[in-house]
Amino acid sequence: MTTATIPPATTRRRQRFNSAYLYVAPSLLLIGVFIAEPILRSGWMSLHDWTVGEDTHAWVGLGNYTELFGDERFRNALGVTGLYTVVVTAGQVLGGLALALWLRRTTWLTALLRSAFFFPTVASFAVVGVVWKFLLDPQVGLINGWLGEVGVTGPSWLADTGLALPTVMAVGIWKGVGFSMIVLLAALQGVPVPLMEAATLDGANRWQRLRAVTLPEIRPALLFTTVISTVTSLQLFDLVYVMTGGGPLFHTESIVTYLYQRGFVEFRLGYASAIAWVLFLLILAVSLIQLRIARSDDDQ
Amino acid sequence: MRSPLRAPWKIAAVLTAGLLAVAGCGSGGDDGSADGVVQLSLWTGFTGPDRPAYESLVKQFNDTHPKIKVTMDVQPWDAIGQKLPGAWATGQGPDLATPNFDPGVLFTYAKTNSLLPLDEAAGDGDGKLNASLFPKAVTTAFTIDGKLYAAPANMATLVLYYNKAMLTEAGVSEPKTGDDLVAAAKKLTKMNGGKVTQYGISLADHATIQMWPILQWMNGGDIVDAKGCATVAEPASVQALQTWADLVAKDKVSPVGQTGADADTLFSAKKAAMEINGPWAAAGFKSAGIDLGIAAVPVGAGGPVTLASTVPLAIGKSTKHKAQALEFLAWWTGKTAQAAFSDASGFPPVRTDVTPTNPIVAPFAAQLPTARLYLPGLPTSAKIDTDVYVPLIGKITRGEPVGPAAQSAAEAINKITGCKP
Amino acid sequence: MTSETLARVEAPAWLPGTLKIFKNIIRYASWGVLILAAAATVLPFVWMIGVSLRTPADLYADPARLWPGEWSVAGFHAVLTQLPFARLAFNTFVFAGGTTILLVFLDSLAGYALARLKFRGRQAIFIVILATLMVPFQVTIIPVFLTLFDLGWLNTFQGLIIPRATSALGIFMLRQFFRTLPAELDDAAHIDGANSFQIYWRIVLPLAKPALASLFVIQFMALWNDFLWPLVVSSTLDMRTLPSALTLFSSQSGVDHAALMAGAAISLAPLAVAFLVAQRFFVQGIATTGLK
Repeated sequence: MTTATIPPATTRRRQRFNSAYLYVAPSLLLIGVFIAEPILRSGWMSLHDWTVGEDTHAWVGLGNYTELFGDERFRNALGVTGLYTVVVTAGQVLGGLALALWLRRTTWLTALLRSAFFFPTVASFAVVGVVWKFLLDPQVGLINGWLGEVGVTGPSWLADTGLALPTVMAVGIWKGVGFSMIVLLAALQGVPVPLMEAATLDGANRWQRLRAVTLPEIRPALLFTTVISTVTSLQLFDLVYVMTGGGPLFHTESIVTYLYQRGFVEFRLGYASAIAWVLFLLILAVSLIQLRIARSDDDQ
Repeated sequence: MRSPLRAPWKIAAVLTAGLLAVAGCGSGGDDGSADGVVQLSLWTGFTGPDRPAYESLVKQFNDTHPKIKVTMDVQPWDAIGQKLPGAWATGQGPDLATPNFDPGVLFTYAKTNSLLPLDEAAGDGDGKLNASLFPKAVTTAFTIDGKLYAAPANMATLVLYYNKAMLTEAGVSEPKTGDDLVAAAKKLTKMNGGKVTQYGISLADHATIQMWPILQWMNGGDIVDAKGCATVAEPASVQALQTWADLVAKDKVSPVGQTGADADTLFSAKKAAMEINGPWAAAGFKSAGIDLGIAAVPVGAGGPVTLASTVPLAIGKSTKHKAQALEFLAWWTGKTAQAAFSDASGFPPVRTDVTPTNPIVAPFAAQLPTARLYLPGLPTSAKIDTDVYVPLIGKITRGEPVGPAAQSAAEAINKITGCKP
Repeated sequence: MTSETLARVEAPAWLPGTLKIFKNIIRYASWGVLILAAAATVLPFVWMIGVSLRTPADLYADPARLWPGEWSVAGFHAVLTQLPFARLAFNTFVFAGGTTILLVFLDSLAGYALARLKFRGRQAIFIVILATLMVPFQVTIIPVFLTLFDLGWLNTFQGLIIPRATSALGIFMLRQFFRTLPAELDDAAHIDGANSFQIYWRIVLPLAKPALASLFVIQFMALWNDFLWPLVVSSTLDMRTLPSALTLFSSQSGVDHAALMAGAAISLAPLAVAFLVAQRFFVQGIATTGLK
């Protein structure tokens, strides 16, 4: 598979065949087989009343979609997911940027701090869920225990209908801020030092340098982290699944949690696929808008 | 111009070779039979503390059946739920599996023609599947359109666990009646300046084996009848829900909105005096240092009752080793195996003619005749649970009026089941 | 944006010394806040290690305490004896390592073409690749499982590795980085007679080391900890990875907290060390690679 990607004869055959396709071919092949084909298949399923393994599936046309738009629980999930996405994306990108700027130079201390902030990114949700549930436990948890010592009665973080979503958001930011940080750190290494020095000599202060030199230079990476944060937040599942299961009273139920419920608990795969397609188109639209906004000065 | 190309070529070659080598060492593991030994694959969701008991049962089968080798793969229920429907429907799945902890899913697998009916193996005597000796509730739940599709992989009933020290300290004796339970829950709840320092009972309402139905049944109420029509809004049921919703919302006898794990943590941490739970919890409570009392669920106006949970063990229709898979099921639910399993796990045996020797099993086994399943025999049980029942309990324990909430829950249930009252 | 440059530039000599002291206080205070924030970030992991070394009785006696009152290695003992630990560690390493190496290579090829080569349909291909990022895993799981069966790849390393050997995220990330490199580099190399692959291999890749390294780190760690994918592909314990096998210790009806946390600690420890070491690669600036 990998050997096919090396174009030894490109120079000789340059005019007949554009070798650029060979660079994208292996990735396209894998993506096609393992992602694109399944999503197309699910698009087909979404037009049926589909249960896995049944021999025949009743064609319902857009029936699943019309049902979906009247589905209150789906609308609730849209709202929850939207709010989560806005808050968590902002938190992850701005937090990541602040950390990256602050920890830009390498000393033993910044190296250690970077590791600390990155660490939650790599812990698996199965473990993180168990840990946070214990820490946030209203009666015996560490957080309310410490609050109690300063005389504050801590709330039921995950069982309170008003607090559950903000709590999940906070954990979401905790989990993802390290990712933005290291992407932006890597990008900051590309900001030419002479440019910074020139700006400094011109008398630019900290904010001016940030706005005039640093941010434009790392714009592609900022765009990348924003899009990725948005996309992953819109697909929110694991965190909710392990921390609240979508509760209390659906206050943290995300689109994918709802999809999971319909598809894998009730086995209504046609309906679940319709949810998936609405989500898919939604994410695509949001990220194309983000890319378009950035494009005016991003494109070469 | 040639030399710089060498390095990437080399890397690509090494990568490819490495991958092939890795691929080679990963393949193998044929599912057919070698040396006349039939290989059976079994998927179960028994992660957690009871896993070793199932593993030793499988080992015991393999030791006593040299011609059959059962390989059990234990994975989380979620993973099974996502793999098994596709695998079985297309004839690629394991020979045997526990599709879910909720018997309701059997309807889906039966509908997709994925399950082997077990009736031909049923009968009396050794080597047969003694279905008539399973508790009635179990065979009913596993029978669809007159065909038996699964055998019980296990069977459990819920009991009342209590913290002996706390009851003694409060001068409360083991609750025997529904009224005792209410009084005990109140008396065992301790407040200090508006803050609860000890809860009377630790109730969970989601991500758990449901305990709220027991509170309704105790009072003669129910959720849904055999025809799929809602009974949750009938007086006995509403009365029970009202009593317990008030106890939680006003008297604060239990925290609101706990998962099963939260409820266990609360009881284990000696912050709650009582909890309704199954046999799997006993060992954990003891190792947490609780002086543990175990009692039958108190008896209310509705007579003795508790909740039973049972995990269905089914055979994939496409299995190539039907006879051996049936033999395994018959052995698993047979006398010898069940006696051994009950001793090792603390679960009651799945058949009525085995008397457990492990004393801890007694209270669980004693309740078997009056134990009921949660939403039994309903293809839509999962939907009723998550869409209606869990939200209902969540609302009323947060102070919503019980009557209207129960009424709209009843309507929602009827809509899901298609019952026209 | 470091404090040294700030002090040098923004505190000219005419400012009274008191102001300088004031600035220093702010500087140290803000570092103090940052260190506190970092401590809060790792707090759950400290608690995790604590739990891995406690008995259940000790945990429940005071779950809010960070450190064991009564020490026990029972959790580690359970992980090492109840699981085929060496095999799982090997699998985890082969899966995460093999996949990441392939992935970084394939993604850099695709990202390079999308960022710096001109071809028909480039934008369309980019959008298609990007679109696959938008698909939740839960949607593709059943079709992918069936495809792996058709290929005979269930419960094999190639089944674990190959479907994950490219990622839209990586292609997107590297494309973004490659675009920031000046176009004149290519032009100059073209004039010297280099073909596109030579430019990729000898010019673009070395300059993108920080991006490649951070992609490597991100993906390696994500794959290392992915527990659902190995569960889907494998059907025997000896083809699982460590995190996916750790799910054996928890269920709705009870969790062996010590074992689960001990397993998680063992699985995370190499990552912590690797991250500390790997940092110098992805924060190694262009300035030190000899360009500019």
